[in-house]
Amino acid sequence: MKTILIFIIIVFVFSSIGFAQTVEERIKTLEEALKKQEETIKELKSLQEILRKQEQTIQDQKEVIEKLKAEIKQQKAPEGAQEGAKQEKKEAPIAKDYRLDDRSRAIELKTAAPLSPLQITKQTTPGLLNPAIGLSLDGNYYYSNLSKSELKERNIPGYLFGIEREFHKGFNLREAELTFFAPVDPYFNLYATIPITEDGVELEEAYFVTTSLPAGFQLKGGKFKSGFGRLNAFHPHAWDFVDAPLPYRAFLGEEGLDEKGVQLTYLPNLPIYAILGFEALQGENSILYGPDAGSGVHAFTGFAKASLDFGSDHTLLFGWSVTGGKTKTDTVAPETQFSGTSTLYDAELTYKWKPSNQKSFIVQTEYLFRHQMGDLLSLSTLDVDSLKRNQDGWYIQALYQLGRWRFGARYDILSIFTDKYDLSGRKIYWGSRPYRLTGALEFNPTEFSRIRLQYNYGRSERNDKLNNEILLQIILAIGAHGAHPF
Amino acid sequence: MFKRICLSVTCIFFFATPAFAKFNIAATLPWIGSIANEIGQDKVHVTSFVKPNQDPHFVAAKPSMILDVRKADILMYNGMDLEIGYLPVLVESSKNPKIQPGNPGNFDCSKFIDPIEVPTSVDRSMGDVHPQGNPHYQLSPKNILRVAEGIAVILSKTDPENAGFYMKNFSSFRKRLEKKQREWSAIPLRGKTFVAYHKFFEYLALELGFEIVGYIEPKPGIPPSASYVEKLVDMIRRAKPNAILSLSYYPQKEVKFLSEKTGVKGIIVPHDVGETEKVKDWFSLIDEVLKSLE
Repeated sequence: MKTILIFIIIVFVFSSIGFAQTVEERIKTLEEALKKQEETIKELKSLQEILRKQEQTIQDQKEVIEKLKAEIKQQKAPEGAQEGAKQEKKEAPIAKDYRLDDRSRAIELKTAAPLSPLQITKQTTPGLLNPAIGLSLDGNYYYSNLSKSELKERNIPGYLFGIEREFHKGFNLREAELTFFAPVDPYFNLYATIPITEDGVELEEAYFVTTSLPAGFQLKGGKFKSGFGRLNAFHPHAWDFVDAPLPYRAFLGEEGLDEKGVQLTYLPNLPIYAILGFEALQGENSILYGPDAGSGVHAFTGFAKASLDFGSDHTLLFGWSVTGGKTKTDTVAPETQFSGTSTLYDAELTYKWKPSNQKSFIVQTEYLFRHQMGDLLSLSTLDVDSLKRNQDGWYIQALYQLGRWRFGARYDILSIFTDKYDLSGRKIYWGSRPYRLTGALEFNPTEFSRIRLQYNYGRSERNDKLNNEILLQIILAIGAHGAHPF
Repeated sequence: MFKRICLSVTCIFFFATPAFAKFNIAATLPWIGSIANEIGQDKVHVTSFVKPNQDPHFVAAKPSMILDVRKADILMYNGMDLEIGYLPVLVESSKNPKIQPGNPGNFDCSKFIDPIEVPTSVDRSMGDVHPQGNPHYQLSPKNILRVAEGIAVILSKTDPENAGFYMKNFSSFRKRLEKKQREWSAIPLRGKTFVAYHKFFEYLALELGFEIVGYIEPKPGIPPSASYVEKLVDMIRRAKPNAILSLSYYPQKEVKFLSEKTGVKGIIVPHDVGETEKVKDWFSLIDEVLKSLE
């Protein structure tokens, strides 16, 4: 019984798992445990030493601050300088936390000549609490073989009507885009994208993102570009071509799905990257939904995306998205109004090869399918027809980068597998498949500037007219370094 | 009976100890990961997601990196805006509260160093000049010692159970570094002059007493034009440096051309851990760098 007791005690006190069978071995274990404890004490002492050093550093810094303050008082400096000194004081706790071996700095400060009030202000007011601000300029020169009136009348019969084209012949200033970003507090980041066009100021995006939700959840809210599809979340200046591909233009418009609402994303802790997202949106996109289609929130989006690496140079991204809701739009046909429901599906696949900074190759493709049902009201005769549309579109693009140069090619097409347009049971044939071929050549002097020459061979109007377009674009960015999308 | 009790006690202890969870560290550059490994050893699991042959100025964010950041208890990075193009997006997309800015898990190594070349005024017409100073301090033993100390302290704070272990590892790191420093300063580099592709060797030059007299880049981050390279030929002929230094991720064309024209040898200096087989950790990185400069 005694042995058992001793045993349990040994086990409990030293939490050693080894089981000694003889007294000698037990003594050995005890000795070993003692040694370990001695070691721990040594370690603790070394920790104490470091703590002492840190305390010394803090003391030194306090002295320096006191000295500086005294000097400022002596000089009876103007208000600005006193503010500066206050800020310096505020900075001290941060330094205490992060700077360890800072004695040399303190000594430097001590020995330095007394700072003039001006110097202090200069040192301590780099706008620490201002948000990061950036401005990008996106302008182009546009040429088309079509006349001005022909360009104005352009639409995609059976898909889209009455959307004014972005570019006029000659010089265009698409936008000067202001971006703001800053953390709000430890729980939110805030972003705003404000393009300034010649027509005025827009609010393209203004949203918060949470930073402290647990378990891989994140909430986004405000007005933002939806996570639907791949291209949708990219700003025009980050596109690989000047314009959006046909399926995006036909189903969502050049600006994509940019809505007021909330988005919840979930990144599970898996060995591969996979993300799930859900959005509840106001549904104001003038082509797919429409501000008057419902009395409140009337559009929803869901997406699942994943990514795999093959070696260190190859990356594959793929995903599925769906968005659906109520629709009320006058973009279906002239003098009509459509009201009903729309669902848009998307499958995306991107492959990236980047062996070095000097070379890269990207292929990106998306397939979109739209299902729409509802009533088409003729505004001239007030007749109501039922309308059912099942239509699709596809684009594929490839970009090859060599040093500061990049070559791009794109093929975009509508009605690839289906082009169903049933008006009260009557099938309507709108003409041949709309498609385009695009080639682009870019020169990127730095990551803040891009010059792009693009040629479009356009057969998107379902008529005999070929549209040859040439665009020369320049994109420049100043201010805060924007985040590169992945 | 005795045996059975023993067995059950063992069982209780075995299951009562929580499964030994390693501390996850995500590092951007391999050298940061290497130092984190020196301090944390088997108590930590380190992933560094930038490849050693990659240009750290132009890393593209990849979803797999988001995954590494998602799992991290601490994110360690070079700082001084070197990772500005990709790290903010990784940090936000990781949805990991621990490593968000302002939290102890967001560990900026440059907070511990003495920066050099801090510009009094800066704009991008000067090229890729970093407002907080030259960000390439990884070859500076003096500053790396401070970074290692910072890593030891942050690990001790966030994983207090193993604080003694981390501090002990740091003191042996310090001892090893001090011994190595004597070895390194014995290498006769004082007074030597070099032309470099990029402002990469400034900290080391300051500590070991050699000098960088010119750059192949006309401005930081701006590749040289053909006419600028022609001008460099004259400059190199006049300055007569000991060698032209470049890094593996820069184009080799210009260095080769200049070397052929002027007879000054061109050297590709290793810049990060894991770049070649010999560069196994931070110490061997410095060994190899100095060997190539000799």
